[in-house]
Amino acid sequence: MEQKILEIINEIRAAKNLEPVAELKPETRLREDLALTSFDLAELTVKIEDEFDIDIFEDGLVSTIGEIYAKLA
Amino acid sequence: MNILVTGCSRGVGLEICSVLLREGHTVYGVARSYTDEFIALEQQYSGKLFFKSIDLSDSEGARKSVFKEFITNDVVLHGYVNNAAIAYDDIVTNLNLDRLKAMYEVNVFTPMMITKYAIRNMLLHKTKGSIIHISSISVHTGYKGLAMYASSKGALEAFSKDTAREWGPLGIRSNVVVPGFMATAMSASLTEDQRDKIYARTSLKAATSVNSVAETVAFLLSDKACSITGQNVHVDNGTI
Ligand SMILES: NC(=O)c1ccc[n+]([C@@H]2O[C@H](COP(=O)([O-])OP(=O)(O)OC[C@H]3O[C@@H](n4cnc5c(N)ncnc54)[C@H](OP(=O)(O)O)[C@@H]3O)[C@@H](O)[C@H]2O)c1
Repeated sequence: MEQKILEIINEIRAAKNLEPVAELKPETRLREDLALTSFDLAELTVKIEDEFDIDIFEDGLVSTIGEIYAKLA
Repeated sequence: MNILVTGCSRGVGLEICSVLLREGHTVYGVARSYTDEFIALEQQYSGKLFFKSIDLSDSEGARKSVFKEFITNDVVLHGYVNNAAIAYDDIVTNLNLDRLKAMYEVNVFTPMMITKYAIRNMLLHKTKGSIIHISSISVHTGYKGLAMYASSKGALEAFSKDTAREWGPLGIRSNVVVPGFMATAMSASLTEDQRDKIYARTSLKAATSVNSVAETVAFLLSDKACSITGQNVHVDNGTI
């Protein structure tokens, strides 16, 4: 699951011409550290939902990788 | 293109399906009743027209009923036509809160939820999709008895404009078609006298053509309208 999240995030970064990240830590922040905008986060949500059938933004904002892992755990 | 059309069982929705099918598109229709007229279209355009009976007054269930069980992520959605609606018609001093809420479920809350998931489908597939809401001339020209109904359509017009602004950067468009009075089931309870008064307020002095409304929807869905977004297009026989 963590590998898949990394893949999705790098896919979104690649479309913005950003370097892929090598690893994600639970404390990695989606906006500040990964440079994801609200549109990118929407795309992230949709892709995670397509993969895991869980809407990570369903009840409130998610701001770190750790929070995504917790929702999918 | 794959297009979701709500309220496909009769009236304007059925005509929209018919126009889109004639243009070669695939249509996913939603309504409560599976009518003979719709079945006839299905037979004529076999494999291009799909139906699911859904009660759109259940806004909480819309994600499951429409997107989990019908327009799944395997379907690349290009367009959503929010046409299904009900009219709760009465003078304001008789306003019944339960009836008002029931109308808002069908006319406003469910369409907003469907828009949410339609845009998500477009995001997943990177589709420059088009969303069309059907409003009503009663938003722009006042009619006795239509304050509650018109308010639900006014909400859609505002929702569409801001959706257009928000999702424009991704190429997703949102527009509204504003029909004048048409001779459909929805307006069937009007008397001849009431009808004549309504038509007298139009430039063309007649009922709005259901086909003209449907053709306008098809145009706004198409690439011909690729530079049109955030607009209200009046198809109302010139109610000015
Ligand atoms: N007629 C007019 O003069 C006029 C004028 C301006 C704007 N409009 C707008 O034009 C659009 C089409 O209206 P129309 O004249 O074609 O009306 P209509 O003949 O009454 O058709 C309404 C459609 O909505 C569907 N619908 C209603 N409630 C539903 C629910 N709870 N769940 C699922 N589907 C539902 C109906 O299907 P089922 O009953 O089978 O569910 C039907 O297919 C509406 O948005 C209306 O507000 C109409």
